[in-house]
Amino acid sequence: MPEEFRVLAPLIVAALGTFAVATLGAVRPRLAPPLAVATAALALATTLLMPAGGRVDLAWAPTWDLRLTFAADGLAKLYALLATGVGLAVLTYAAGYMPRHAAHEGHPLSRTVRLYSLILLFMTAMLGLVLAQDLIVLIIFWDLTAITSYYLIGYEQEQEASRRAAMTALLVTGISAILLILAGVLLYTRFGTAQLPDILAQAQAGPFVTATGALIAIAALAKSAQVPMHFWLPQAMVAPTPVSSYLHSAAMVAAGVFLLGRVHPLLDLSPGLQNVLMALGFASMAIGGVLALAQMEIKRLLAYSTIAQYGYVVVMLSLGAVEGAAFYILAHALIKSALFMSAGAVTEATGETDLTRLGGLARSLPLLAVGSGLAAAGLAALPLTMGFFKDEVFFAAAAERGGVVPVLAVAGAVLSFAYTWRFWGNIFLGPLRNRVERIPWTLTLPVLALGVLVGLGGIVPGPAASLAADAGEAMAGRATPLQLAYHFDLRAPNLMAVITWVLGVVAILTAPRWATIPRAVARTGDRYGPDRGLFTAIIRLTTFSRRTRAFLEVRNLQWRIATVLVATAVLVGVTIVFAPPWPTFRVGRLPTSDWPLFLFLVLAALSALVATRSAGRLTLVLSLSAVGYSLAAVFTFIGAPDVALVALLIETMMTLLLLAVLGLLPIELARAPAEREPHPGRRRAVGFITTGFVFVICWGVLSWPAPDATMARAHLELSPAAHAADVVTAILADFRGLDTLGEITVIAVALLGALTFFASRRSA
Amino acid sequence: MSMSTILTKVISRLIFLPTFVTAVAILVKGYFGAGDGFSAGVIAGTGVVIQFLAFGPRELFARYPSLRRAPLLAWSGLLLGLATAFAPVLWGDPIMTHYPRPGEEVPHLGLLAFHTAVLFDAAVFLLVFGMIVSVLGAIGNRYGSEGVDS
Amino acid sequence: MILGLALVISILFGCGAFLLLKRDLIRMAGGVILISNAANLFIVAAGLSRGREPIYPLPPGERISDPVVQALVLTAIVIGFGTVAVLLGLIYRTYTARIARAVDQGEETEGTPVSMPPEDRVAD
Repeated sequence: MPEEFRVLAPLIVAALGTFAVATLGAVRPRLAPPLAVATAALALATTLLMPAGGRVDLAWAPTWDLRLTFAADGLAKLYALLATGVGLAVLTYAAGYMPRHAAHEGHPLSRTVRLYSLILLFMTAMLGLVLAQDLIVLIIFWDLTAITSYYLIGYEQEQEASRRAAMTALLVTGISAILLILAGVLLYTRFGTAQLPDILAQAQAGPFVTATGALIAIAALAKSAQVPMHFWLPQAMVAPTPVSSYLHSAAMVAAGVFLLGRVHPLLDLSPGLQNVLMALGFASMAIGGVLALAQMEIKRLLAYSTIAQYGYVVVMLSLGAVEGAAFYILAHALIKSALFMSAGAVTEATGETDLTRLGGLARSLPLLAVGSGLAAAGLAALPLTMGFFKDEVFFAAAAERGGVVPVLAVAGAVLSFAYTWRFWGNIFLGPLRNRVERIPWTLTLPVLALGVLVGLGGIVPGPAASLAADAGEAMAGRATPLQLAYHFDLRAPNLMAVITWVLGVVAILTAPRWATIPRAVARTGDRYGPDRGLFTAIIRLTTFSRRTRAFLEVRNLQWRIATVLVATAVLVGVTIVFAPPWPTFRVGRLPTSDWPLFLFLVLAALSALVATRSAGRLTLVLSLSAVGYSLAAVFTFIGAPDVALVALLIETMMTLLLLAVLGLLPIELARAPAEREPHPGRRRAVGFITTGFVFVICWGVLSWPAPDATMARAHLELSPAAHAADVVTAILADFRGLDTLGEITVIAVALLGALTFFASRRSA
Repeated sequence: MSMSTILTKVISRLIFLPTFVTAVAILVKGYFGAGDGFSAGVIAGTGVVIQFLAFGPRELFARYPSLRRAPLLAWSGLLLGLATAFAPVLWGDPIMTHYPRPGEEVPHLGLLAFHTAVLFDAAVFLLVFGMIVSVLGAIGNRYGSEGVDS
Repeated sequence: MILGLALVISILFGCGAFLLLKRDLIRMAGGVILISNAANLFIVAAGLSRGREPIYPLPPGERISDPVVQALVLTAIVIGFGTVAVLLGLIYRTYTARIARAVDQGEETEGTPVSMPPEDRVAD
């Protein structure tokens, strides 16, 4: 067992860390950042120590083959390293960023604790997601990432832009998550198992697999901000920079392509679907690239760049180059995180977020410029960086496919080159335009560290390549070796890379000529794009539902109830007309031993009738309790002592409760005269009708003869084996214990409700 | 709602402990005769409510301020129930597996059986007890704060 | 016996429905209580056998009452209590909110019956 749980160790560490930061941070806010950083470091360590191929398998409902399975395969290990490693960098960054940010916004330091615990919670969710091997666990952690992302994007609760961005993100990712759940249900019913390896082994090409694959793909594309569900990502940039550099470059948007990779064998069975995915990937590259060229705000530029870069990954996955896609994800996460953090640092140092107002920071922030420069070089795929290899695998896959694909690939790469230069060049080169404040080393160090990793990856790509190869093997189900090295010959990827650089330099030099085009595209997108579409759809749906409700609504509560009752009576009447139940009714015997039972039944009925005619409230309460006690007596005589005991006690408690609440209403005393209620005749009529149809139903049901071999007999016989003498208690606590668990949850929820209503009022 | 005679107060105080003991007894014997966690919880709740009736909510809250934490009893009962149900998953058995398994010996202390089902019943007891005390305590609190007396 | 049980259940339900249609909120709560009592009685009556109580040692040769319906009804009774507690809380709050509104508008609040406001102006 210890062996298995080493697989879960990062998850447990992150979860405990979340809890620790939340609780200790509430007491001592200054402890939160170091504790968070320590948790991330420990999680990273345990990730590195995860046994390759380790599995955890806990059967929690074996008769339905529902098991919690986690496995540390290559894909899981890659993503776990990303989640914990980048998380460590981001948390270190946040330790320096958040205090300054809080001071700018005028918030107390204790509010920043929420950010650390939420980031750790997100890390937990991400780890659970990538380690999961069965659909149920996967979906749960998928939703958990969406929820944590909502809270993180909406971190600045008072700003409307934050709330709107968070809600948009939640709507887009949440609605698509429903499609994922639907796909999961379909797969479970078709293949009889929720375990992903079994499903992928049994899947065969056909419309069913294509349909479920499409559903999963929609959910994944929405999460990775691909066209047409890309518009939530630029809006999410209102979140603090640590959030943007963790979630929206390395972790959350990576979850979408992770899902595509996990179910890759499934998607591969439908070539049509893969072609659609490729088209959508290219569309994201195009739109992301063009709009990145139009952005003034540095973080939004990076957001569109993320959309474009994940387009690369989607294209590669659809082409079958899974190991290349894994390498790309790894490289991009390091690069984009570093760039986001450097953007945040620049804003902190200068107070500016606009590209046109920044410049010449290389002299004042040299280390930041170096780290950011290495990352930017990686993004533009320059040699001696990991980025060169990321584009090389992309070009290799595109060239293999042939046709128009290589051309589109080069076009996309040129756009990346151009906007990367726009970003880095405008910030760090040229004349110094801003006043630069000193920024703490915790802001620069992570950028530098990640940049150095990017550079090292270009010189020694072996470790990264082997990670990606393992991940590819996990995705494709076969060995996918990846060897990366510099080749100084005329192979296709090298040619495409050189063409890209040349065209890129040309584009940069001729920038003023075509600069208006991206801006025009951006404006068109604002007016007619999917974001506007979602917004309009929500408004139209709300108006529609309001009008329908105004039309259909019966405003009076009593009329609503009466309608339900009378309609049921009509239905029962119609049934009687078409299928008369008279022959099946039995009157039943009344042996002398049953006379006390009958007597108490009559007493209950009489008390109920008295309750309807009670003049004052006290009479009402007393007659209701008479009904309850009579029924308790009935239960005794019917051979149900446990029920009788509980009924008796609860009836006492109910009477006390009613009297207590009555006492709280001071104006009308218990003995007030009966208020004149309108329409007594109609009420009496509905009462009689109700009595009638309930009578017919009950008599019909009670007249059925009881079957011979019943569940009751089984329960009776099994009780001694369960060490119980009272069968009812055994049923409650043992045989149907899960039902009881659900029922006490209901009682707990009712308790919450009652406490809320009776709690001391804070504000009217 | 306050019967403020000295006799009532004395008897109410004396009767609390026997009520509670009866409740626990019913919980314990529930596996062997009539009774179970639900009725035990309500009996214990009744014992506390009697105190409310005799002494009035203001005085009772003043003397035992921990009564305000009664919801905690309910939540801990719920947690205990969940733990009893889901703990077997940790060592590979399906949910809601009770120990000792059928066929094994059940250690006894008099009528008290050391069986996880009794633990589950105890969780139900805590929940129902907590619910009754919390709800009626909250209502009693409204009496105290609104200055209503009737 | 079957006829008697059906009759009593339907009377309980009918009285509950009658009370449910009244405007006085406390009487409406009483209607809810009666209807849940009727439902519990119905479930117990629908047991598959009726006889001695299902507690070991079982008397040999006699019919034993169905324990499954008893277990169902037991929890139903307690949940019904919880539901009524929530309902009464809601009624209490409705009442105090209405009184607060009436006091704000300077209305006469003495002798005001506790009942549903004349039209359900449901807020958006």
